[in-house]
Amino acid sequence: MTTSGNLLARFLRGLRANWPALLLPLIAGGALGLTASTWPELVIVLVLILVVVAPRESARIAPYALFGYGGYGLYLMHSLLIREANSVTYGFVHASWRPVFAGDGSWYVAQSGDNRWVLVQAVACLAVGVWLLARPESLGGGPVRRAVAQLRGTGGQPKTVPPLLLIATLFLWEELFDQDLWFGTPWQSGVTPMMLVAVLIAAAGVAAVLWLPRAAAVLAVAGTVLLGLIGVLSGVQWITHPAMPPVGPWSGFTVGFYGVVPLDSGITGAFAGLEGVALAVAGCLLAPRLLTWSADFELAERAQALARRVDGLTRSRSDATETAVAELRRIERDLHDGAQARLVAVGMSLRAVEQLIGTNPEAALALVAEARETSSRALADLRDLVRGIYPPVLADRGLAEAVRNLAMDTLIDVEVKVDLPGEPAMPVAAAVYFALAEALTNAARHAGARTVEVSVEHLGGMLRATVTDDGRGGADASRGTGLLGVERRLATFDGILAVSSPAGGPTIIAIEVPCALSSVKISSC
Amino acid sequence: MRVVIGEDLFLLRDGLVRLLEAHGFEIAAAVGTAPELLAALTELRPDVSIVDVRMPPSHTDDGLRVAIEARRRVPGLPVLVLSQYVEQLYAAELLADRAGGVGYLLKDRVFSDAAFAGAVRDVAAGGTVLDPEVVARLMARRARSGPLAGLTPREREVLALMAEGRSNAAIAARLFIAEKSVAKHAAGIFARLGLALSDDDNRRVLAVLAYLNA
Repeated sequence: MTTSGNLLARFLRGLRANWPALLLPLIAGGALGLTASTWPELVIVLVLILVVVAPRESARIAPYALFGYGGYGLYLMHSLLIREANSVTYGFVHASWRPVFAGDGSWYVAQSGDNRWVLVQAVACLAVGVWLLARPESLGGGPVRRAVAQLRGTGGQPKTVPPLLLIATLFLWEELFDQDLWFGTPWQSGVTPMMLVAVLIAAAGVAAVLWLPRAAAVLAVAGTVLLGLIGVLSGVQWITHPAMPPVGPWSGFTVGFYGVVPLDSGITGAFAGLEGVALAVAGCLLAPRLLTWSADFELAERAQALARRVDGLTRSRSDATETAVAELRRIERDLHDGAQARLVAVGMSLRAVEQLIGTNPEAALALVAEARETSSRALADLRDLVRGIYPPVLADRGLAEAVRNLAMDTLIDVEVKVDLPGEPAMPVAAAVYFALAEALTNAARHAGARTVEVSVEHLGGMLRATVTDDGRGGADASRGTGLLGVERRLATFDGILAVSSPAGGPTIIAIEVPCALSSVKISSC
Repeated sequence: MRVVIGEDLFLLRDGLVRLLEAHGFEIAAAVGTAPELLAALTELRPDVSIVDVRMPPSHTDDGLRVAIEARRRVPGLPVLVLSQYVEQLYAAELLADRAGGVGYLLKDRVFSDAAFAGAVRDVAAGGTVLDPEVVARLMARRARSGPLAGLTPREREVLALMAEGRSNAAIAARLFIAEKSVAKHAAGIFARLGLALSDDDNRRVLAVLAYLNA
């Protein structure tokens, strides 16, 4: 009982989380009405079982099923307009709001003469599909979310309104010139030359959007305004000469609609006029924005790139500041505990010598010797400190020689290959030097390596260095603070560090810093 | 014994002059820049010279470069290089000509003036004197691999002290062993490193070089 209760609770929870799955049986029902299956109920039950068994997967499929069904509806509507077919079955809603059951078990919901519900339902299906995918929590909806964000122009991203508008405009233009050329009639009359032209024009539209965005935007505006004007003329003509067919370039054809608004009855001329006014106004309103669209696009891209750069810089700057402060703290501590303390001791010894020199010259002499020894240690401390701040060989000779010296100081055999035609800026050189020092120390201390290979080169504006050892591997950059510090220091210069260290070795530490080399090898200091 | 001093800091230069004069050296020249030093070294050909690594004009390793250049022009010209830091790279460069008469010490070794004066004389006599800090780092590294891996720990100790420029007597005193044993260890080292019997001093130099080239 508890188990079944748990199961039920879990099932309900899963269903609540994956409620779009419930749309699947609905779509199946709608589609089945159309296919006039003999066993629609059986298929609906099968889909229901799918929903129960795999709610998550069903929820994932649902938006695409809606797309498919909505797309089919659009296609159906289109062919209806052109072929003037009598009746189709699509969806659930009929003007009379009453499904019609056929004798063979299938059921119709739309009747002849009221096919506009097909359009409404198809658009609804598509809209729900888009909405489902655009939800933040929906699975696999990334591209749709991005497209919706672009359409809305949120987040400073480029807008896709102009290309969509252009495609719609092209579509309408083609409709105006030949109602048979679109995908409504191929199964009746075969492929017409106009179809080929239509496809070419559509392809040209897409190409223009992709490669000539400025021209595409101009065409979109011009097309929208022109279509609007033609619609307005149609409306005017309908008012002045209700009996005449609509005016315009297509007036010699047997055009039955304007755009997607049927014109076969007198009253629909008014729709043409209204739609024309709407299109003309929209075109005029959008013109200023559309005409700067390609510039907007570039600006938006640049703005995004700049925003990312600013984020990166903010992060690396704060890292650099923190690192610098920590470094100064360490230097202060080292000075305080080392050289400074020893100099205090020297001073105290000398003070004692002052007092003793008259009375006890021997003790004074011993103290002087001690003071000398202490000052030596202070010097040693300072030496170590300076090495950690800016290594002398690096200052004297530059990076290549400093790396060679580093190799000599490493406890294991190091093979050095340095190919630098010049010298990087001092801060970069120091960052790279300390990165290599850390990598070599790790190889000698932790990796149990016998030999290490260090290579440094400059290619295509990038300073690249790798340290490869033959140790046991298994190094983890995120574990030790050493490499993390190196990574941060490199990040200040947009440099990166990568560690490849499979268990069993070899360990490869690679760093890459964008930098220019100066021909001056040594900087004075 | 005529000495040339190359040191840009007046206080240190003055101190070195007084120290060396106190130990009976004759100061041939005391200069503060690299070009002056090169001129003094090649023209005066002193018995020994004391050279600071960091000197004007570029304040990097000008002194070291002058020392190497002077020894290129005057092979075997004895040079004792002083620095705030000792680097293995520089030690290797100084010893690269295998001519002996080279010293490389930290500046604070000047504090023990008798030992320092001894080191100056050793260099003048064609010996090799390396700072214990360089030697210690060399030891740490070379003990693991290369021809020196075959040496016993005691032999390595002896070799290290040899590299510091100490005589057999000094090594014996330092390790609390008989001078004869030091000679025996030295012979062992030379044999192990395949150094033929020749001038003992030169063999000592070569043994030290074996460190650097191992």
